[in-house]
This record gives sequence, structure tokens and C-alpha cells, in this order.
Amino acid sequence: MDDPPLQKIAISGPTLASLIQRFSTSPSAIHGLLYGHVTDLPATLSDDAAVEASPTLLATVTAFLSSPDPHLSAAAVPTHSAPFLGWFSARRRSPLRPSMREFSLTTSLSSQSQSPNPKPSPFIFLLLASPPSDPSHIHTHEYRAFQFCGGRFEPRSLDVVNIGPAFRGHYGAFSPSSPLPPLRYGPPRGSPMSDDGEERLGRLKQAAKDQRKLDACADGFDVGRLSRMMGSEAKSYTEGLEELYQKMLLKIENLTCLVEKTSAMVLEQLMWSAVTPDVVMSAKIAEKTHCQFDPSGKLTFGNFVDKRLESLAEALVE
Amino acid sequence: MAAGPENVPPFIAAQLSHLLSHFRLTVKVEQMWSSDKYNSGPLDRFTLLIPYCLDFIKWDIIFDVESPYAAPDVIFGPEDEHFHPFHMHPASPDPSFSNCLSDWNYKDPSRLLTLIQFLRDQYVLYQRKRVGEVDDDRLKFEISTILSREGIEMHMSSGAEKSEEVKFAVPLLDMNINKMVSCCSWRYSQKIYLQVVYPVGRKYMTAPSAPRLKLVSSPELKAVFSIDDVKLPSWVDGMCLAEYLPNLEEYLGKQVLEAVSLIEVRRHFIEALANPFGRPVEADPVFCRKATFLAASGVFTFLVHFLIPTQFPKQQPTIMLQSSQHFNSQMAPIKSRPISDYPWSPRWEPLQMAERICEFLADEALNFKRQCSEGQVQ
Repeated sequence: MDDPPLQKIAISGPTLASLIQRFSTSPSAIHGLLYGHVTDLPATLSDDAAVEASPTLLATVTAFLSSPDPHLSAAAVPTHSAPFLGWFSARRRSPLRPSMREFSLTTSLSSQSQSPNPKPSPFIFLLLASPPSDPSHIHTHEYRAFQFCGGRFEPRSLDVVNIGPAFRGHYGAFSPSSPLPPLRYGPPRGSPMSDDGEERLGRLKQAAKDQRKLDACADGFDVGRLSRMMGSEAKSYTEGLEELYQKMLLKIENLTCLVEKTSAMVLEQLMWSAVTPDVVMSAKIAEKTHCQFDPSGKLTFGNFVDKRLESLAEALVE
Repeated sequence: MAAGPENVPPFIAAQLSHLLSHFRLTVKVEQMWSSDKYNSGPLDRFTLLIPYCLDFIKWDIIFDVESPYAAPDVIFGPEDEHFHPFHMHPASPDPSFSNCLSDWNYKDPSRLLTLIQFLRDQYVLYQRKRVGEVDDDRLKFEISTILSREGIEMHMSSGAEKSEEVKFAVPLLDMNINKMVSCCSWRYSQKIYLQVVYPVGRKYMTAPSAPRLKLVSSPELKAVFSIDDVKLPSWVDGMCLAEYLPNLEEYLGKQVLEAVSLIEVRRHFIEALANPFGRPVEADPVFCRKATFLAASGVFTFLVHFLIPTQFPKQQPTIMLQSSQHFNSQMAPIKSRPISDYPWSPRWEPLQMAERICEFLADEALNFKRQCSEGQVQ
């Protein structure tokens, strides 16, 4: 039962990032299971016969499941949409070498995960650690990937797959499988002036309206003017830009004024409901809002409520 | 940085102190640190230096302060990546020792010691297996002839930068040196080892060269017997270790017996010194290597330190005078240079030795007094 050797292991950038995030926020070491898929790399053509023997399998980790419980067991492997690939261990401030426990766990996990599978699949182990001697405020995360085969850890290179031109090769094997969108052909029904045209006109109107709204926000600073921020003109242009910022600040100030007013109104409404004919109820509310009734039946407030509200309440009581 | 024993959680401290005080070899803790991100938490991991094959192996012991009930994890050295103590014999893993981890009881302070002992025993077997796998005819022969010796340890070193070699640590002399020295204060059993280093991988050589040989003793043995004074018998071409060892052991055995008998000679000498000098102020009663007497020349009072070599009486003792009245600028008592060029004959009787030293010191005391009054701060 010899596992097919892997050429390398790949992990998607977000998966690795969230794994590291989970590790760095956890109070202690974490362990978990890795899921993903194994694919054949497109064979590279070569005249050299020796290349034929080189492994062409690529394991891609796409998801993980972590648990702080050190008692992992493949029998308890939760089902996941992607096939089970292996496990990871993340421990803080320790050397980046598989430990005694990790070896034992890998041995037992790999033997358990193999039994139901008729076809042997590679078993991988991902180790994350931070160095034991490390200046305390710099956090370094190190990781190493291994394939477990023949009772030993074989180090494998770990590719982090991100989106971008550098990773185009990774999507080389991708073939679009979605059907072509339906194309409308044939002469358009009716004349351009029919309801179809009206609909188009409505859409144009809507677009113009939206544009006007956007322009109002930009205060005349359209994209064309922004382009002047580059190059030799930029110096003289800063004044204009400062003006824009002033306007923006003014707007924000207006906005805060509005917010203040509305919250005052909300408080007023609260007082409206507080001063209900039900005296018991109002006493309860008064207790909660730090107000009190004085012997004359007037309601006095704690000094955190302004005078304006007090007079309002007085008028209401009368 | 948090450091110091007060920061070690009690469940680890108990295990560790039991290990350090009860292990049959001298184990050291190289460093302790915390699993905490900022290294400010309790110290729950440490590096152990464990003697092996006249060298040390470094193992990192990883406890977790968050789960004190769990057994510790061990990370072995970078060159031992294929050492898997619990998977040495795939057919029958020793159940009694799997239990020592699965039934880990943090309240029993001897658990760590049991674990380290087991791991070290497995390591001896692992290295023996590695050395056995080396494809070298001479080595295979040597192993087959000396494997029956008890306590032999082997080590296979294969670094990228150095050539492969196999190291043997052969314990010599089946005698208990601790028992031979009366009232000795040694905690560990004193042993002498022969270190044999075979270079590997030079197949083209017709006659195998002599291995590198070196005698190593436990450091405390120096008080009685200095291994550096032993001249190793020469290694004849085509010799094997099994031939070499009996001669060496016979020779070394005599040397050790002689060295032990010399303790008594030194004791007699110190007793003889008491005649002219009076009772010693201080003397080493076990190995008789040191004695200090109080002497006076007129009103000038001073101490006489005798440092007696292991080769006594062949080598004469070194004498050092120390004034009890004069101090230097650091307020330390003024001492003379070590004196070992006074008249001496190993054939003298102890009493005669003591008298001749006393005569010599009568003159030397005047020189020393002058030296003191010049060097003294007023």
C-alpha cells in the first residue's frame, strides 16, 4: 500500500490566511483536518527519459476544520464536500519539526483513513509554528508541508495559490463548462418608436438622473479634473482640492447637526411616553431615567437632561 | 522576558525537579520558555541536554499550560528526524510504555523521568540500528565482536558539512571506583570510557586506518586520577577493538588502583605536616589533595596552602602563602606565587618531606613578609 508520491502541495491563499488567523487568535495550540483534492499536473514534455518517473500529482488544500481537542481521530472525520487530505498541527514557540505525538497521530490517522478507500490517496501533514526564540513583539509564522508515505515524513514544497497574473498557470487546466448565453437574432420586433424604444428612453433618463446625483456629490470634481492631480499641474491644483475638502467637512458638520437634532427628538419622544397619566408607570420610568417627582407633583430631572426638556415636561404635567 | 523558576507551573516544576535529581545521568535544562505569544506567560517548554555517547542530545519538551492533564510532547534533534521511539518495532509496540503517555498522571512526579528514560533507551537502540546499517565491512566486524559489552553506546553522525563517521563510547573497567574511595561524596558512578571514532565511506582504502582513540572520564574523577596522564597503547595495523581493549583495560586498571592507593600516601604526608606546623586549619579528608596550615614567623602570621597533585610523591606539592595581616587594594589578602621549585625528593620519608618544607619556608616567609609590606595599601 504505497501512496503515490506528490510533486507538491498547494494551498489557496485565503485558506492559509484564515488558518494562520485561527492559530494566532487561539489561546493555545490547535489541530485540525485538511480537505481538498488531488489532481494530475499536465505532464511536461521532455526528451530526458528520467523525467518520466517524476511524480505528477498535485494536492490542493481548499478547506480546513480546526478543533482545540488534541484527540483527533479519522473515524470521527466529519463529512465535508471535499475529500479528506490530511491534518495540520499549529503550536506556538516550538521548533518547526514534527514532534513525537505528531508522528504517532499521523501514523494512526493515515492508516484509518486508508482502510475504506480502495485506491490509496496521499496523506499530507501541515505543520505551523512560531520560532522558540523570537523578539516578543514580532510575530513570525512558519509552516512546512509533508507527505506521509512509507512511515516517514517527506517534505514537500507548499505553493500558495492566489489570484493574479503570476498564478495564471494554475488555472491553465481550467476549461469553461457553462453553455453559451442565448443569443437573440432576427429582426427586432416593432419599430424603434414602439414601447421597446420607450423602455430604452426611460433607462437613459434614469441614468442621467443618477449621474446628476453623483455630480452633486462630487461638487464639480469629476474624473476628468482628478486626472490633473498628476504631473506638473498638480501644484496649482492643490488649492482647488483643499477647497473640496473644506466643502466635504462642511457637509459632515451639517450631517452631525442633523444627527444631533434627531437624537434630541428621539429623547423628547421618550419623555412623551414617560409622562403618561399612569402615575405608577411614570414613577417607574422616572426611576429608570434618574428623574424624580417632588412633593408638588412636578417632575424634576437629573442634571444630565437639559432645561428645555424640563420645561416641556412641566407643561405636560399641568 | 519572563524567566526564573517562580514562573514554572507547579505541575511541570515537580516533574522536572524529580528528573534532575533522580536521573542516573547528569541532565541539564538548557533553556525554558513560554508558549505565550509575548513570552510573558508561565514557562511550559524547555530544552533538555541529555548525555549520550560522550556528547549531549538536545530534546525539546513541550508541555501545554492550557492543558495540564495532557502528557508532554517531545521534539527530537534535527538530525534525528527518523527517530520514532513508539514505532521502533511495528509488530509489537511495547504496551507498558505506550501507557506511560496515554495514562499520563500529572500528579505523579516521576512520570517525566520514566518517559525520558524510556526514550533514551530507545535512542540507544535506534543509533545502534543506524550504525548497523552502515555498509562498511570493518565496522560490521567490530560491532559483531564488541556488541556483547554492556553499556556500549554508538552514534552515527552525518552532517552535510562533515564526512560520515561512527562514534563508539565503550565503558572500560568493570570496577566500582566509587566503592574504592572511602567516604567519597560522588553522586554519580564514576566511569572511564574509550571514545573510538571510525571514519566511514572511504572504500578505496586497502588497509583500514586506525580509528581515533580518546579516553574520557567523568569530570569528578580528576580529583583522584587524571586521564590526561594515561598514555594509550599504540594501535597496530589490522587490529580490531576486541583485541585492543583487554590490554588497555589491564593497563588502566593498574593505574586506577595505583591512583587510589596514592590517596593514602597523601594522607600520611598531611599527617606528617602536622608535626612541624601543628594541626591543619583545613584539609581535604577524602582525596587528600589540599591542606592549609597556620604558621608564624615572629609576629608575622600567615597561612600555608598545600596543593598536592595526583602524581604525589613523584610530583612535589605546590605551596602558596597567604598573609593574614596584609591586604591589597581590593581588600583581598595578599598571596604569594605558587611555589613548586623547592628542594624535593620523592624518596624521602613523609616526615623528612615535612621537615625540609618547614626549613624552606622559614626563609621564604621573610621574602613573603617583605613582599607584603611593599604591596600593602596603607
